[in-house]
Amino acid sequence: MTDRQPTFLQGLSASVPIVMGYLPISFSFGVAATQAGFSAVEAFALSLFIYAGASQFLALALLGSGAPLLVSAFTLIAMNLRHVLYGPALMKQAGAAASTRYAWVWAFGLTDEVFGQALGAMARGQRFSERYMFGLGLGAYAAWLGGTAAGAYAGGGALAGYPAISASLGFMLPALFLALLLSILTRRQLPVIAVAGAVTVAVTLAVSGTAGILAGMIAGAIAGVARR
Amino acid sequence: MNTDLLIVALMAGAANWAFRVLPTRMARTAPQETGLMAQFLAATGPAAIATLFVASILPALTLVPRDLAALVLGTGAVLAVFFRTRSVVGATLAGSVVYGLAVWGLT
Repeated sequence: MTDRQPTFLQGLSASVPIVMGYLPISFSFGVAATQAGFSAVEAFALSLFIYAGASQFLALALLGSGAPLLVSAFTLIAMNLRHVLYGPALMKQAGAAASTRYAWVWAFGLTDEVFGQALGAMARGQRFSERYMFGLGLGAYAAWLGGTAAGAYAGGGALAGYPAISASLGFMLPALFLALLLSILTRRQLPVIAVAGAVTVAVTLAVSGTAGILAGMIAGAIAGVARR
Repeated sequence: MNTDLLIVALMAGAANWAFRVLPTRMARTAPQETGLMAQFLAATGPAAIATLFVASILPALTLVPRDLAALVLGTGAVLAVFFRTRSVVGATLAGSVVYGLAVWGLT
């Protein structure tokens, strides 16, 4: 473990693969929002306030189909329930001395990918710092907002003529998660990873993708408790 | 601006903020958990990353030979570059580029 606290710029530089993954997804979201009849400002507002990919796409479907307001809001809220586990898991890895003084700002940026990147960095021996979290989170958030604005401005079919670029950008997030998984892989973690993966597949096929993610995480964490 | 959209966005956004921020703050102010809860939280990280990887790769699993070949090549590139360099950034970018090139080359 290194003694130096990682800087804001190191966090910003660690956000590069997330930025490359977020740009095409948020771009697609901007395109989808305008295609669904929402304005560019409305698309941007969804990204600015919600900042959670899958639930934003669901918001388009719910709002576009005229679902009741409270039903829409609570469906989106339920989709993001998994995020309650990220802060405590991150701070557990960070250790007792880690500060959360400015967490009310940076922790809003704890998306799946930002959490994974921060946890992976600490698993490789890096110390926790709030400045690093600001840099990491800001890069990802800026890419999300910028991609949404560009997609809303460009409108439908912008990447249709470039299937290879579209495919390449679409593979960025699976590649990032695989690399993060490799970076934390130890013999001790294998049961947790195997159970989480198997339950995710089973529940996704049987129920839905959102349920699969939540069930996979909880089952994996329970496997971590049961292995002792 | 559509008022319903703004209300839904603000409600979902406020919940997201609470889900991400409050447990992070409480993890510091609460006494350090020991025993089962500590083990549960320690295993949450690896479980979450494994889950997110599986969830992100599931839609790409297909019986179309070109897409499957691109997936195998892209995954292979991530593995090869990671084990050679131990760089998450490098492995991610390599996997993405190889996947795109495979789709382009096999079209």
